[in-house]
Amino acid sequence: MEYHPQPTPGTARPWAFPAPERGALPNGLTVLRCHRPGQQVVAVEIFLDAPLDAEPEGLDGVATIMARALSEGTDKHSAEEFAAELERCGATLDAHADHPGMRVSLEVPASRLAKALGLIAEALRAPAFADSEVERLVNNRLDEIPHEQANPARRAAKQLSKELFPATSRMSRPRQGTEETVERIDSAAVRAFYEAHVRPSTATAVVVGDLTGIDLDALLADTIGDWTGNTVEPRPVPPITADDTGRVVIVDRPGAVQTQLLIGRIGADRHDSVWPAQVLGTYCLGGTLTSRLDRVLREEKGYTYGVRAFGQVLRSTAPDSASGATGAAMLAISGSVDTESTGPALDDLWKVLRTLAAEGLTDAERETAVQNLVGVAPLKFETAASVAGTLADQVEQHLPDDYQAQLYARLAETGTVEATAAVVNAFPVDRLVTILVGDAAQIEEPVRALGIGEVSVVTG
Amino acid sequence: MPMGHTATAQAGSGGLTATEHRLANGLRVVLSEDHLTPVAAVCLWYDVGSRHEAKGRTGLAHLFEHLMFQGSGQVKGNGHFELVQGAGGSLNGTTSFERTNYFETMPTHQLELALWLEADRMGSLLAALDDESMENQRDVVKNERRQRYDNVPYGTAFERLTALAYPEGHPYHHTPIGSMADLDAATLDDARTFFRTYYAPNNAVLSVVGDIDPEQTLAWIEKYFGSIPSHDGKQPPRDGTLPEIIGEQLREEVHEEVPARALMAAYRLPHDGTRECDAADLALTVLGGGESSRLHNRLVRRDRTAVAAGFGLLRLAGAPSLGWLDVKTSGGVEVAQIEAAVDEELARFAAEGPTSEEMERAQAQLEREWLDRLGTVAGRADELCRFAVLFGDPQLALTAVQRVLDVTAEEVQAAARAQLRPDNRAVLVYEPVEPAESADAEADETDADTDAHEGADK
Repeated sequence: MEYHPQPTPGTARPWAFPAPERGALPNGLTVLRCHRPGQQVVAVEIFLDAPLDAEPEGLDGVATIMARALSEGTDKHSAEEFAAELERCGATLDAHADHPGMRVSLEVPASRLAKALGLIAEALRAPAFADSEVERLVNNRLDEIPHEQANPARRAAKQLSKELFPATSRMSRPRQGTEETVERIDSAAVRAFYEAHVRPSTATAVVVGDLTGIDLDALLADTIGDWTGNTVEPRPVPPITADDTGRVVIVDRPGAVQTQLLIGRIGADRHDSVWPAQVLGTYCLGGTLTSRLDRVLREEKGYTYGVRAFGQVLRSTAPDSASGATGAAMLAISGSVDTESTGPALDDLWKVLRTLAAEGLTDAERETAVQNLVGVAPLKFETAASVAGTLADQVEQHLPDDYQAQLYARLAETGTVEATAAVVNAFPVDRLVTILVGDAAQIEEPVRALGIGEVSVVTG
Repeated sequence: MPMGHTATAQAGSGGLTATEHRLANGLRVVLSEDHLTPVAAVCLWYDVGSRHEAKGRTGLAHLFEHLMFQGSGQVKGNGHFELVQGAGGSLNGTTSFERTNYFETMPTHQLELALWLEADRMGSLLAALDDESMENQRDVVKNERRQRYDNVPYGTAFERLTALAYPEGHPYHHTPIGSMADLDAATLDDARTFFRTYYAPNNAVLSVVGDIDPEQTLAWIEKYFGSIPSHDGKQPPRDGTLPEIIGEQLREEVHEEVPARALMAAYRLPHDGTRECDAADLALTVLGGGESSRLHNRLVRRDRTAVAAGFGLLRLAGAPSLGWLDVKTSGGVEVAQIEAAVDEELARFAAEGPTSEEMERAQAQLEREWLDRLGTVAGRADELCRFAVLFGDPQLALTAVQRVLDVTAEEVQAAARAQLRPDNRAVLVYEPVEPAESADAEADETDADTDAHEGADK
């Protein structure tokens, strides 16, 4: 073939993260809307201020069961009818509970938005919470627990939460409850949680998609406009604390062919001015297979299919809120390595972290990371669902509506020194809790020899 | 069915168009313009998958796909990744039974770079391929196999059912990930021969979709790909056709450390690209798609014998497609009880056919899935390549949803009656070897972004 020199780029066409239009319905519901031409599948995200730490003592999982029960029948439709009507719209509906609150996510072709919104309004306004349906959801949830326990990545996440957070903190315990707490949940508990925490005045609906020819105001007024409720004082939000004393916990899995790694601690959230630098530095450490970790662990040594470093906000409040800034993000490194390579892989991982702390990032690394993080934005936000998800995250984390748009400008301004400092502070070698789900008989000794912290072994 | 069921006037194509071109060396090109977002998707399908692999070399097509990211004539080391990501793009590759695909989504002004990179490896991969990358990627792929199949509960179910459903010696008897022994046995020479046999412009389709100037794009394609010689070393894959019905129930029972009993099955169904396959898709959706399906209502809602129950369809063009049943039991429920209920529902469905409401729901669900697929430039580029490579006509991608909406209830019933029967399936039963330990669990893993490249996609 004839070789040609590498082409030079053309002129970039400007792109900006979309600015939503903010408003409110007479019932107090906040509404964010965003017209995205061409996106035939409309995404609706509804955020409810029903956080996990509002669950009554001993009833962990009631928020999850309530989220699931919302779509299991209303005053007008039985559970089976409700599911059938939604699917008749070609819609998908997902509701889940997490530390900051509950999210109800709908995706539906634009032409059937009115009907689907009507169904969602019914679910929010008048859920049936029938005894028999709640009992079924509770049993179904109990059946799911052993499947999660058997999954190495999920097992590792559960152990890390238990290690990091004080036992009194809701964050130390599984989001969807334990067998002991879930089996106590009944329809009365679900209804009580709903009545205490679900109301339009503390909820936000985000609607994104091709809204051509849709009178959204009329549509909202006819559907979720009917939902009523009282107003309440904001709940106090406890600060997040964690014990990140460097240590290793092995969850024993005799005979496992791989070891699942999850190495983490907590750190800054999006309200902290260090966030853009932390994003940039974390990407350089483990954002992709050409980042520092995979460059060694995967592409040089072949120990793994891939190891990633990431920051994921657990819960945030605004500095000017009643509780002040209480937020934090989980900062972690995760992946799996073959059993035999566990010791050498961790040794290399720590070497990567030490080298990073000693020598810092290079300007070229920082430049590539900025180009990627900023450059992929138009592709990342091509669909309505991705835009709606990010707008709802901003609401949930008490961030301004233009946060994501501003973030790109701040990333581009972040220098190599700042990014280095942020990632080194985020992943200090002596303040990391390491969870290993693997065969203790084979990995315990090699891991002890590394001296990366006290090693303990648990089963289950 | 009446147009009243469609969600959009153009039934999913959204007024999209595509143009077709062919270079002198045989490379087929499909272009489709869409200027809504300043991005362009490049997708390249090579007409080679695990069905082309020889005995003793399972997994070679997928291992080779990894080697395509290890540099080429003018691209050093991980340059394919570095250059695309550094240009604000994303990229990946996947390997299936029937094809291997490579794709980049770029900001518009970086489109030329992606074309240059794809051309460089199509024309000059062997200039960079060496033992070091072969040994390294062999280890990476073995770890991929462990992570995705060997170290997760029920992880080898797909491989086991495929091996049951397609007889020994059939090109689809083994899955793209391959066996550990064959991955160990693959040599650098195997990889070189594989490239020389299958990686040629006349064995590929290139699509570019999005914010493009078609004339300029075609000129770049001609410039970068035009001088790559075609060659005809490729033998057609072994014949994958099989009788319409298996003729007996094949069965395997696995005793493993899994959290619950499971009933899985693969039904032999029509080849992809036929109206009968679309009818079977609708039948599986009515029976086991979503939360209003017959199996979900029966097993999860009413009998309460299952945690989850559903059907999926693995569409295949060169062999019968597979209808995929997956039921995880609740508590101590026995598999026989589940099996009896499934058979009762299948028999009832074959006798009665779908109701008009069920047809409406199933068609609405499949239509939304198509809108999702075609809603991104990358999804559209992939579908255009799929129809060009497997069925010779990319335009079929733009009308696929209409074909699903045209299927009648009678055809859906006929599809179920003909093939969703006990003598036309391979069954896999899981029995836990020891009671799953009870302890609380975290349901929400802190899930890292898994854009690590590729995988033997199912």
